[in-house]
Amino acid sequence: MTDVVISGLSKSFGSNRVLQSLDLRVPSRQFVTLLGPSGCGKTTLLRLIAGLEKSSQGEIRFGEKRVDTLAPGDRNIAMVFQSYALYPTMSVARNIGYGLEVRRIGKPERTARIGAVAKVLEILHLLARKPKALSGGQRQRVALGRAMVRKPDIFLMDEPLSNLDAKLRAAMRGELRRFHLDLGTTTIYVTHDQLEAMTMSDLVVVMNEGVVQQIGTPEEVYARPANLFVAGFIGTPPMNLVPARHEGGVLSVAGAKLPVAVPPGAPAELILGIRPQDLGVARPGDAGTIPGKVWMVELIGSERLIEMEVAPKLRLTAEVRARQRAAIDDAIAFRPDPAQIHLFDPATGASLTAAR
Amino acid sequence: MNRWLAALLYALLCAVTFVVCFPLLWAISTSLKPKEEIFRWPPTLLPERFTFESYRELLFGGSAASAPGAGTPPSDFFLHWFANSIIVSVGSTVISITVATLAAYSLTRFRFFGQRAVPYVAIMGYMIPSVIFVFPMFLTLVELDLTDTLLGLTLGYVCITLPFCLWLMWAFFRGVPLEIEEAALVDGASRLQVFRQIVLPVALPGIIAASIFAFIVSWNDYLFGRVFMNSMELLPLTVGVMHFFDGTHVDWGLMMASSVLMTVPMAILFGFMQRHLVAGFGAGAVKG
Repeated sequence: MTDVVISGLSKSFGSNRVLQSLDLRVPSRQFVTLLGPSGCGKTTLLRLIAGLEKSSQGEIRFGEKRVDTLAPGDRNIAMVFQSYALYPTMSVARNIGYGLEVRRIGKPERTARIGAVAKVLEILHLLARKPKALSGGQRQRVALGRAMVRKPDIFLMDEPLSNLDAKLRAAMRGELRRFHLDLGTTTIYVTHDQLEAMTMSDLVVVMNEGVVQQIGTPEEVYARPANLFVAGFIGTPPMNLVPARHEGGVLSVAGAKLPVAVPPGAPAELILGIRPQDLGVARPGDAGTIPGKVWMVELIGSERLIEMEVAPKLRLTAEVRARQRAAIDDAIAFRPDPAQIHLFDPATGASLTAAR
Repeated sequence: MNRWLAALLYALLCAVTFVVCFPLLWAISTSLKPKEEIFRWPPTLLPERFTFESYRELLFGGSAASAPGAGTPPSDFFLHWFANSIIVSVGSTVISITVATLAAYSLTRFRFFGQRAVPYVAIMGYMIPSVIFVFPMFLTLVELDLTDTLLGLTLGYVCITLPFCLWLMWAFFRGVPLEIEEAALVDGASRLQVFRQIVLPVALPGIIAASIFAFIVSWNDYLFGRVFMNSMELLPLTVGVMHFFDGTHVDWGLMMASSVLMTVPMAILFGFMQRHLVAGFGAGAVKG
């Protein structure tokens, strides 16, 4: 039962500010993902929580206990590293049991606990091997076993799946989620892969340039992005973001009028966001559509991406069923689903519609 | 065609092996010949009559051949020289490896001024031929009153072996991923435990390679022993055996027997270390 409370946390490396006065609460027993592009500070935040870096400012608490002054070994956390960081000279069994060994837990109990974890992870037959004799997936399991055997208060995972091939990664996503549900240990998971974040998390913390952009469930950050960064970062293909203006209650994109209610107090110049999945193909000239001509067509299996040029350097992408055909340079129009239109303030980047 | 190539390759390897081994075999053969057979022409490849006379003389003393009134024959000092060489070689190796390992670890793991320069300066120091600094070093030892002492000689060897050991260990530690140490810290180990239980075992092949280097350099050195040491009973082997050459005649039997005995510690060292050396090299891999 440990929630993690981070308040006013800052971290600089020299003059480079990696985290800026960050506040975050990770509720107990939740699977929370720190998601963002490389260099956004997510790994630094994880390392601060682990105690592998010292913060420049702010504090970290596990429950009531302040931990940012404690050594990593005194925080009762376990960490899974991107490279797995197995001890190369030790057997798998000793790798898993090392944390118990340094905590002076007796050999019989150690052996029992290593066995129990190895059984769950299905690596019992590997216990005598050295890490170099294991495949990537097996190493991953050993690293996981090393974390699980200690029964820590918190799991920290730093992109643990990024060194696996795509198929294994998909399988491990499900397994990790399953382990979390079984163990119920608070987990903080770092990734730059939004698919991992969306599929595994209870909560997603989207970060950019050392600042938390949005905290929410996967559904929330996808359906109601708080700002332009989150809107552009989450979703594949990315959300279309185009300049729009509104006058007298009427919103227009490149001259095309759209039936969208603009929230009161919105500036005249806006950014309109619409996901490719929320655009349908219409006939040019239909009301409530944006006309243009087909720029590029790509088949991606069951779906087809149609890219339409509205004006020079202004293009929209729609994701439609594969049977919908379009020829390059044909006249076409897209009909946005009015309920799925997002509006952003260009000055601040903040969403005007997220509260809806 | 492939078989021919293989046969040719084997023939070539045999020839190279023979060329490399011949001096040692010749030394062994000569050391086992009676004195009158050593200079016989044409030379005999294998002794016609085996004798352990030279070995007996070196190991148990009492040379019958020494001139009357010449004092203790040099061969009586052989065991002293042997012990001296072992002491200074082991001593300088232990000191060099201890200092180099700790220094190299701190150079790769902690941040401080001059951190990047130290290994390069060290390796440049190693590139200076020792003949250039043997005399300044001798004068320093005079100041410290350490000439003609085994400690002085040991320190001299540390000076020539430490820079390269440091460089070797530094290069080795750079290849040890920081994450395995962090993982151990998170697991609850102290800094010292991390160093002892995680880092040292990983660094073992590097430590062994550096040890072999330091031991060979100290064991084979002639220059420092010649310049720093004076007393007959304190000489290292390399300098000592030169006393079998007394200006007019060379006792090849003793010389060759000494050479054979000199290679024994090396052979034992390699015999033991080789397995570790080979076994350890694949150990660094942790990436998937």
